[in-house]
Amino acid sequence: MSRPFRRDGEQIVVSLSAPERAAIAALPEVIEAAGDADGRFAYQAHPDDPGAARRYQELVGEDLASLRAADRAAFAAALGADSLDVELAEAFMRVVGEARIVLASRLGIEEDGWEESASIDDPEIAMLHYLGFLQNALVEVLSNPE
Amino acid sequence: MTAPLTRPVDEPTVDETYESDRPWQVVVWNDPVNLMSYVVWVFRKLFGYPVEKATELMLQVHHEGRAIVSTGPLEKVESDCHRLHHHGLWATLEKT
Repeated sequence: MSRPFRRDGEQIVVSLSAPERAAIAALPEVIEAAGDADGRFAYQAHPDDPGAARRYQELVGEDLASLRAADRAAFAAALGADSLDVELAEAFMRVVGEARIVLASRLGIEEDGWEESASIDDPEIAMLHYLGFLQNALVEVLSNPE
Repeated sequence: MTAPLTRPVDEPTVDETYESDRPWQVVVWNDPVNLMSYVVWVFRKLFGYPVEKATELMLQVHHEGRAIVSTGPLEKVESDCHRLHHHGLWATLEKT
């Protein structure tokens, strides 16, 4: 696979092919459709203190949902772009990460080492690996400003 | 929503200033999905850690199942925890 992202000053240049862009276009919908049946996104800052958990949820619960929705909107807007600013690239990276979490949940992945027994012939496993490749590429360009 | 106040106003209460200033810690837990490189990036981005410190914490999460990534008063660690959740990491709070 060719290098999907490279840094150009403050911009992240995107070199995704049309088929690659098409393959990931539905990620926001995949995340939204999955909901949170297994509670992976039901983050608990205070798992052993119901009172504190309620207060924390009231404080940031809606905010987190809004941030996640804003990331998905940013991803959709960025999908056709040839370059992204850093903020947009970070939102793009978070959506790719969330999609990996959703796919892994659907596949029943709960332990480290799943890669060793996973079949690359499974389309969802293949997508999980591809999204990992994209996320790692974004980490590299966002970690190296020059 | 919070419950209505039912106790008498002169009832002794916990010193809330003291409670809110007690040091807390943010714990990040291992998960099988997030990439190691991504977790290092998140620790650097959110906490400003040098790559060596961020990598050490990531490896501690990976091998030991958890690591303390920040400490401080409740308001600060709740903000830290919120930002970790926004980045897809499983984080909780504990009193030190």
